[in-house]
Amino acid sequence: MNSFLALQFTPPDVSFALIAPELIICVVGVVVMMVDAFARPNQRWVTGSISLAGLLAGAAATIWLWLSWDGASQAFNGMIVLDELRLGFTLVFLIVSALTVLISMVWVENEKLPAGEFHSLLMFATAGMMLMASGGDLVILFLGLEILSIATYVLAGFRRTDVRSNESSLKYFILGSLSSAFLLYGIALTYGATATIGGLPGTTNVAEIARRLNDAQYPPLLFAGAAMMLVGFGFKIATAPFHIWTPDVYEGAPTPVTAFMAAGPKAAGFAAFMRVFVFGFPFAAAASKTISGELHSAWVSVLVVLAIMTMTIGNIAAIVQNNVKRMLAYSSIAHAGYALVGFIAAGAASGVEQRNAAITAVTFYLLTYAVMNFGAFAVVQLIARAGDRRTEVEDYNGIGFRSPALALTLSLFLLSLLGTPLTAGFIGKILVFRAALEQGYVILVVIGVLNTAISAYYYLRLIIVMFFRERTTSWMAPPIPASIAIALVITVAGVLYLGLFPGQVINALQAKPIVTMSLR
Amino acid sequence: MRQHLLTVLILLPLLGVLVSVGYSFAPSRQDFHYKWIALAVTTFTFALSLLLVGGVGAAEFRFEENVNWIGAIGARYHLGVDGISLWLVVLTTLLMPIAILSSWTSIAKRQLSYYVFLLLLESAMIGVFVSLDLLLFYLFFEASLVPMFFLIGIWGGERRIYAAIKFFIYTAVGSLLMLVGIIALYFIYGTFDYAAILAAMSAQTTLLSPNAEFWLFLAFAFAFCIKVPLFPLHTWLPDAHTEAPTAGSVILAGVLLKMGTYGLLRFNLGLFPSMSRQFAWIMITLAVIGIIYGALLAMVQPDVKRLVAYSSVSHMGFVVLGLFSFTEFGMQGALYQMLNHGVSTGALFLFVGFIYERRHTRLITDFGGLATPMPWFSTLFVFASLSSIGLPFLNGFVGEFLIMLGAWTSNAIQHPWIVTMLAATGVIWAAVYMLWMLQRVVFGKTNPTNATLPDLNAREIGLLLPLLILMLVMGVFPRPFLDRSKASVEAVRARVAAPPTGGSFAGNSSRVLRVAP
Repeated sequence: MNSFLALQFTPPDVSFALIAPELIICVVGVVVMMVDAFARPNQRWVTGSISLAGLLAGAAATIWLWLSWDGASQAFNGMIVLDELRLGFTLVFLIVSALTVLISMVWVENEKLPAGEFHSLLMFATAGMMLMASGGDLVILFLGLEILSIATYVLAGFRRTDVRSNESSLKYFILGSLSSAFLLYGIALTYGATATIGGLPGTTNVAEIARRLNDAQYPPLLFAGAAMMLVGFGFKIATAPFHIWTPDVYEGAPTPVTAFMAAGPKAAGFAAFMRVFVFGFPFAAAASKTISGELHSAWVSVLVVLAIMTMTIGNIAAIVQNNVKRMLAYSSIAHAGYALVGFIAAGAASGVEQRNAAITAVTFYLLTYAVMNFGAFAVVQLIARAGDRRTEVEDYNGIGFRSPALALTLSLFLLSLLGTPLTAGFIGKILVFRAALEQGYVILVVIGVLNTAISAYYYLRLIIVMFFRERTTSWMAPPIPASIAIALVITVAGVLYLGLFPGQVINALQAKPIVTMSLR
Repeated sequence: MRQHLLTVLILLPLLGVLVSVGYSFAPSRQDFHYKWIALAVTTFTFALSLLLVGGVGAAEFRFEENVNWIGAIGARYHLGVDGISLWLVVLTTLLMPIAILSSWTSIAKRQLSYYVFLLLLESAMIGVFVSLDLLLFYLFFEASLVPMFFLIGIWGGERRIYAAIKFFIYTAVGSLLMLVGIIALYFIYGTFDYAAILAAMSAQTTLLSPNAEFWLFLAFAFAFCIKVPLFPLHTWLPDAHTEAPTAGSVILAGVLLKMGTYGLLRFNLGLFPSMSRQFAWIMITLAVIGIIYGALLAMVQPDVKRLVAYSSVSHMGFVVLGLFSFTEFGMQGALYQMLNHGVSTGALFLFVGFIYERRHTRLITDFGGLATPMPWFSTLFVFASLSSIGLPFLNGFVGEFLIMLGAWTSNAIQHPWIVTMLAATGVIWAAVYMLWMLQRVVFGKTNPTNATLPDLNAREIGLLLPLLILMLVMGVFPRPFLDRSKASVEAVRARVAAPPTGGSFAGNSSRVLRVAP
């Protein structure tokens, strides 16, 4: 029977419960915009508070979905899915967004920027990220990605009078559009390739793609499509060699936005990337010469190479940076490499349980990265002052004993990024490396830990500069506004909690078994 | 209390940290109070650690604690102490108050942070010796790096930044590779628990493939050999020792280096006996090279502290030699020599610190004839040096004698007598460099700038006394020390010296670690 006819006779597959978190965030975004346009609040924190309340409501809805879980489900004809990959990542996005609101509160005030615009753009970006985790269809994934990207292009150029900010925005826009084009072309090719000999038209549904791989009509197109999508996603999560835009964009963008970009969109990219590749081109025994098997082994091998390049290039380039934001940008590239190690493990896992564990590892890794990265950027922003002027390593000379609280918290975050035991970063690394070792990637893991040793050099360098040198010029300790203090307390507590007692969080992420998406 | 004694020992210094930090907010705080807090805490910790001594004697672990820590990744909080770790814990707690007393006047800036880092370091060091969970062990092993890094970097000498970062990266590279080994072991045995893994190996329920054991041995040995440090990996040590503040050098030499040999004994010999036998000749060769090379380098150093640092390389070579002789004499001697080295070299670093505090130089040529203005200093310095050389009736002799006896009778390698004779020259070299240094520093003509140097005061003599008494006691009456560790060392020896069939790997293992995907 023709599937188009069938659709007309079935009632539309609508479930508002399943997209409740996304809906809430979108509505909050609109509300913030309206409040800003019509109420014209004099107090800039009004819109920020509304956004925070909205994010809390979104988190509550997500947790409600989590608690009322009874197996994976989907709605809108497979456009939206509810599985564990989604929920874990959705919470990460909400946390990232809330931290961004907190650390940007004073910045918007001081720089006299339109707070309402900033917060509504942030809400839309968050909604985009959430769609990227919840979409079960390539079209929704692309839609989410574009909502996110367009909001982020504007955010990167938010300091309109600053040339660096403009440059950052423009670069991000041009290269981001290019990668979107790659992704879209890949989606189109995949659609074309999955048309079957039996006469069915192509599909963009991820689960359906997985089922049709072996009787795809045009296998070469499938490979080309997968490669295009890999390049597109590779741009978004900044893997080498598609990372060239990252340092310039991160350096030029306002610091709170940089913190957001390094944690949020990157995690969203990972969510969508994993959705398409782990579920769309799933594990198939490589021995059997099927299309799915060849495709699977091809993308896993490519990712192994990409992960090694990403870790190594990110860490080695970070060593020579003299600008702290640029250094953290390269460090974020390196961290994407470590997360890729977990991704590879998820892709290579043959059993559902192992895949589940590997996906949890990646989610947990990105969660810890978000927390420590935000902490670090919050301190960097405080020290940089208005206009992001003081971001050179030299500006940190000898401030360790002048502002011990700030310097110690920054050191804690740097040690956590380095992966020192007792901090969140350590447990995150253990999880991803463990997942990869379970799949037998010993060499990859050894390269990973050697990279960790390389990274010690530049993380410690900042600590050395702060504590081991004496300051020669005058130093005025920056005042710590309440909102940033809250953000710092949350991140410090997070780093220590996730580092000392991560058991509960890991269990929560892992508790729900991932049911395969072949439901229909 | 007794069953939580180890946790209490780990947490006490942390409590001291909290008290110090809390006190820093008090309105009427005085900077000199921090050292009193630190001294009180560490002395109390030492007193408590003595409670351990009575409870240990047999081969099994005592004072065990075993609770779930991170269930999701199978890590447990498993502590315990046996004859091997007992004395190292006590050595740690003993050296801490001494290190704090030695910084009494020399540390004037940033006292709060200084004592906080020392206390953090103590927690981590005790944790290393009592952890029976591999992940927990790794955690403490790595955590001990950070406070030491700060101690060297903030309160160190001229080239402190270079030394601190070299120290950190050298040790981190090694320990990270060990982490890979630990996770690999987890996948083979399904647990991080040392005792459980050992039991599974002894019961031959799960055996490693030769290939897996080879790589695992290397991963662990690399981390520990950097820490010891064994010959080609020793280059971080002279820099770190020389640049560290006195207390830092004492702890570094006294305790941190022991983590390496402790790890070799506990993990490499205990978990990978077959591979240990195959690697014995390499380790022994490197150890002997280290003994002689370290001694020769010590001889030509113009700086007293560097001289003592290189002598450490030589002494730790003896320890490794003893461990890999696989004889009871050798291994007991090695354990004993670890303690001796902690006591004697710790004391030597204190002496170097005393003259540095007075003259702000460590160059041998700047001294000479200190015996006249500083008779107490000179007498005690000579005493400690003789202990380091290995004079009979002092502690160094017992350890080195046992090790050489063990090495001579060892069948771990062919022609063990060649090795023993070469190692014995190390003792002669030790006499040469130490006595020559003494001659140039303590005796001879008094340099006019040194003529008015004040002699040791009561505090300085007081903090040296425990170490000097120990040198004598351990030299004439080693039995109580050796008796406590005998059963545990014998258990490891029996395992590592067993014929190949009783070892850890069988011909075909069910789980073979893949090296590449």
